[in-house]
Amino acid sequence: MFEMLLIEGLAIGACYGLFGVAVAIIYKTSDVVNFAQGEMGMLATFVAYHIMTAYGWPFYIALPATLLFAILLGMAIEICILRPAKEPTVLGLLILTLGAEMLLMGLAGWKWGAEQKDFPFLLSVSDTVQIFPGFALNSWTIGVFVLTAVIMVLLFLFFRYSKLGIAMRATQQNENAAKIMGIKVERVFSITWGMSSLIGALAAMFFAARSVLDPNFMMEPFMRAFAAAVLGGLTSIPGVVIGGLILGIIENFFGYAWPEWKPIVAFVVIILIITVRPSGLFSKHYVKKV
Amino acid sequence: MKKIWIAFLLIGTLFMTPILADAAAKPGFDDKEIRIAQWGPQTGPAAPWGSVARGSGLLFNVVNEQGGIHGRKIKYFIRDDQYNPAQTKAVVKELVEREGVFAFVGGVGGACGLAVMDYLSENKIIWVGPSAAITQFVFPVKPYLFAVYPLYEDEGSILAKYVVEKLQAKKIAFFYQNDAYGKDGLEGAKKRLARYNIKFVEELSVEPGEKDLSSQMLKFKNSGADVVIMFVNPTAAVIALKTCATIGYKPQWVSSNTLSDYGLMFKITGGLWEGVITGAFGMTPTADHPLMNMYREAGKKYTPEERWGTFYLAGIVFADPLVEALKRVGPKLSTEACLKALNSIKGHQTIGPKVTWTPEIHQGTDSIQIQKCGPGGSHILLQDWTANDMAIWKKK
Repeated sequence: MFEMLLIEGLAIGACYGLFGVAVAIIYKTSDVVNFAQGEMGMLATFVAYHIMTAYGWPFYIALPATLLFAILLGMAIEICILRPAKEPTVLGLLILTLGAEMLLMGLAGWKWGAEQKDFPFLLSVSDTVQIFPGFALNSWTIGVFVLTAVIMVLLFLFFRYSKLGIAMRATQQNENAAKIMGIKVERVFSITWGMSSLIGALAAMFFAARSVLDPNFMMEPFMRAFAAAVLGGLTSIPGVVIGGLILGIIENFFGYAWPEWKPIVAFVVIILIITVRPSGLFSKHYVKKV
Repeated sequence: MKKIWIAFLLIGTLFMTPILADAAAKPGFDDKEIRIAQWGPQTGPAAPWGSVARGSGLLFNVVNEQGGIHGRKIKYFIRDDQYNPAQTKAVVKELVEREGVFAFVGGVGGACGLAVMDYLSENKIIWVGPSAAITQFVFPVKPYLFAVYPLYEDEGSILAKYVVEKLQAKKIAFFYQNDAYGKDGLEGAKKRLARYNIKFVEELSVEPGEKDLSSQMLKFKNSGADVVIMFVNPTAAVIALKTCATIGYKPQWVSSNTLSDYGLMFKITGGLWEGVITGAFGMTPTADHPLMNMYREAGKKYTPEERWGTFYLAGIVFADPLVEALKRVGPKLSTEACLKALNSIKGHQTIGPKVTWTPEIHQGTDSIQIQKCGPGGSHILLQDWTANDMAIWKKK
């Protein structure tokens, strides 16, 4: 029972972590928490669903098409909704993301209706794979572990070694200095939103495969992923993933021992940790100088 | 300042006059029509339940096709409240004060119903068959409100009896939504089990939005329960079944009628719903019954785009007793006469349970059918209408 609780906790935690990474990428570059993140993932998942069910195309075609859509969606929201804001404050941008969230939810409800749907995902929660004798994992769990690990490594390499990654970090640290150094910060923002949307879409598809697909299905996972990101530290990508894993494990073990406290226990732990370490477990505490 | 107040008063009077005039001119019916209405979520998160309101529309179409009721056709209004009690208030007010409706039928959502319950009562508007089992609707009795929906406590009791006597379960667990719906079901089932001197091996709750149920399902697995009764929403049920598939746990699931739309549940669980047993407040959609056959044909004629599912049929079940009462009233229609007819309905049955109302008890039934999801989301009847012999309210 212990191993099962641990694996299930790690699996859902990895999913929270992955989605938290999508939130953190935008926060890292622009200090904005994107409240439309869940709905961006939801809309992309609906697009994948539509490609597979309405056109009858297989998953391996639907996936790249969806990821391309997700990138364009992220960029479009940044260009059409956030960028036109004149001299925006962080709070103003945050409100704009809330507006985008409602817009996307309305759009999905109008196009696909509110009835729950089964998302035909490639990896199933009921197909088990024997890892070694006496130990089996389902393909969904394997998939989420592998994907999270791959994304983490790619993001680490990207932010550490690629020009664009370094430009993103520079933009976050000092936007004006980045501009002076010749970085096209507007382009950096668009690409950041595109990247974040892509990772969010991948995580959302995993969530949909585990539950049902409807316009509201990402509301609760977003809250948990955001909490995981805050727990780990919003500016640290590995921290966010570890935050997700911790959240998943806490929820499962406490949920098993004291089921009635399950929905709140993770948040109590987060409050306690944030009280001691305001920037999260793995993030450096920045104090902005005037 | 005074002038501004006078201007406000004038504008207010202008707006009020036609509304009052409308309401006064429309007592809910005339020689040619009876105005009946229903609110229901046609858009928004609860839109799948919007088919209840449309199902009632089919019944009224059939009634009108047969010549109406004593020469009067039914004029039916549906308003979308998006499952939002504030919206329900607005649409109900509009229907009462502008359209002058005679009665309401159905109405999805406990909170939505509670939001307008007092308003309808104050305005002496009859309301038949709320589409939610809320005890406040019927206890204490409300003179203008008549419920058809079986109470969750009764259903919990009947299902627990079935599990013990028919399924011969040795270890039973209960999985419930942490609100009145889930807790009422748990209460009924517990009372029943107490009669057999049995206790649940595990009782676990879920919050409506929870998306990870691993710990709950592992706890059920560890308890060794061979039957799990659940009173949860569709999303929680899907996650529960998928999680159980992951951890290799296959109990017999038994659920309340809220998950008896097998067509939908089979689809969204990717087929895992097959074999699940549920309560039901209507006959199986494929039942070979003269009335069901007639409605099925009418459905093909009037609403060929609708899925012939449980909740669409529920619209007929909830609205039908009002039609019966209006028929009994005769040509001299009035709210009082209709109330008298409703209070005299005894053992009336069409495609739902037998409905009985008296001036003292407005909870119409304590009966459900027990059905099982077959291949492809089909309905298999396991046990015909069964009443709860432990229903306390009947003895009051």
